[in-house]
Amino acid sequence: MRVGFIGLGTMGRPMAGHLIAAGHELAVWGRRPASTAPLAQKGALVCATPAEVAARSEAVITIVTNSRDVEAIAFGPKGLAEGFVPGSVHVDMSTIAASTARDLAERYARKGVGWVDAPVSGGERAATDATLAIMAGGSAETLAWVRPLLECLGRTIVHIGEAGAGQVAKACNQIIMVSAIQACAEAMHLARAANVDLAAVRNALLGGSANSKMLDMMGDRMVRRDFVNGIQARLHHKDFGILMNEAAVVGTPLPVAAQVWQQLNALMGNGWGMDDTSSLLRVLERGSGEGEP
Amino acid sequence: MKVGFIGLGLMGRPMALNLLKAGHELSVWSRRNESMTPLVQAGATACSSAAEVAGRSEVVISMVADAPDVEQVALGPNGVADGAQAGLILVDMSTIAPAAAQSIAGRMAERGVTMLDAPVSGGEVGAIEGTLTIMVGGDEVDFRKVKPLFEAMGKTVSLIGTTGAGQVAKACNQILTGVGVAAVAEALNFAQKSGVDAARVRDALLGGFAYSRILENHGKRMLERNFRPGFKAWMHQKDMRIVLEEAHRLGLALPSSAATAQMFNAMVGSGLGEEDSVAMLKLLERMSGADAEGGS
Repeated sequence: MRVGFIGLGTMGRPMAGHLIAAGHELAVWGRRPASTAPLAQKGALVCATPAEVAARSEAVITIVTNSRDVEAIAFGPKGLAEGFVPGSVHVDMSTIAASTARDLAERYARKGVGWVDAPVSGGERAATDATLAIMAGGSAETLAWVRPLLECLGRTIVHIGEAGAGQVAKACNQIIMVSAIQACAEAMHLARAANVDLAAVRNALLGGSANSKMLDMMGDRMVRRDFVNGIQARLHHKDFGILMNEAAVVGTPLPVAAQVWQQLNALMGNGWGMDDTSSLLRVLERGSGEGEP
Repeated sequence: MKVGFIGLGLMGRPMALNLLKAGHELSVWSRRNESMTPLVQAGATACSSAAEVAGRSEVVISMVADAPDVEQVALGPNGVADGAQAGLILVDMSTIAPAAAQSIAGRMAERGVTMLDAPVSGGEVGAIEGTLTIMVGGDEVDFRKVKPLFEAMGKTVSLIGTTGAGQVAKACNQILTGVGVAAVAEALNFAQKSGVDAARVRDALLGGFAYSRILENHGKRMLERNFRPGFKAWMHQKDMRIVLEEAHRLGLALPSSAATAQMFNAMVGSGLGEEDSVAMLKLLERMSGADAEGGS
């Protein structure tokens, strides 16, 4: 298939690579030429604008940081909408507000262009291994048409519902995941305050009902006090801003997520946004008067 | 002074009337004609647009629901900027985010209009009686020019700082009142559920360190089960959103405000949004399994 790809960051670069490896004809665009170079070497065609990418593609995949980026790439000057012919599809794999996804889907529908929101979970590792969990929103026919592309990128592809539903699922994913990181941090913090060996506690708990992927992965980073490598916490902070806003719009109380959000705010205030979210442990330590002044 | 007034709702109408009473020449505009009628009857001039109001005024006051409304009034087609004479001061008394206030003031400055943010506390009663607390952000010279108008509407008038500072003070006010209403509702519900007379508890506490105006006024309404607005829960939800969005932007933890905001979310989502904030008590009762009309 002729596929466009925009957003060649930590996640996007390996994903685009998989599409080329699977034999798709790739057109790419990036604000910085450096980001497109590795793909160009693998045979991707570098375009001057998103509109040009759209004009050359049957489907375009985007994976960028926030709602505003997606809006600008889609409907900004020289955006995808200017290049798409009716029948083409925009597959957005960024994490953005469900309301933005629904809005973009409607605007595209007026032009006869399809939309799928397909945010992912699994991080850089799963992007590299092509084992992402993909949650999709959009019409069943449109999803069926782009499914072969998504199958190059992920292991589980679940159709959640209409446009925006994929983003709702992603918000649910973030609530569970980051709240679990906070719970791990609190458990580790308690263990340390009680002068108990953190690694032993983690090992014991991994064998019981409290076992979780986050206790395994983030708990390990907390035990080793490796706060640098992993997922940049500022991205989780951004996601919580989106989902807490949605909660206010629909009038839903999220008491635990609201507290996790405040801890993430404190993490940002401490200047740890570029570090891993396991830094939530450091926020607790600050609150207990520990850590660097 | 020649004054314009835009936003003649629950708060705006009595505020505008107080300006007329103080002898100011008032021009008004509203999307809905009928909201101008009581003001026209009291001597105000009805205009056909915000621009027309601006053309007739030295100071224009806006009192609307949210930042997009302020933007529309200030910078939209036929807005204040379109009709402003040289030296016009726009005083926005709505509650919006400090960042939004700064952004709108910046764009108005480019059009030659200076702006003050001057949100209020004190509710409808304070607006009627002219006893509002007014928290002002902006230039001191402009503040002094407008001060007589503030004094016609309020009792405590303070210049807090530069543009946006008034809204910061208002956000602080909403933290205290939002968390305060939740605390009073929790305490009274705790008394009820423990089988103790909540009214007697309130009476006793009013004499001690837990005294607050919220325990006195809001607590009384909770005990009387008088949930008529007042200050609607959905508006308090909006204000708590402003607080938490600012905290997000600043990298600041506000755990109690965040918890309270979730209670307001639940009120709006469960159909209590049009009732007064004191209906927080009903929500707490429902959460713990009491029937809709509460008590235990």
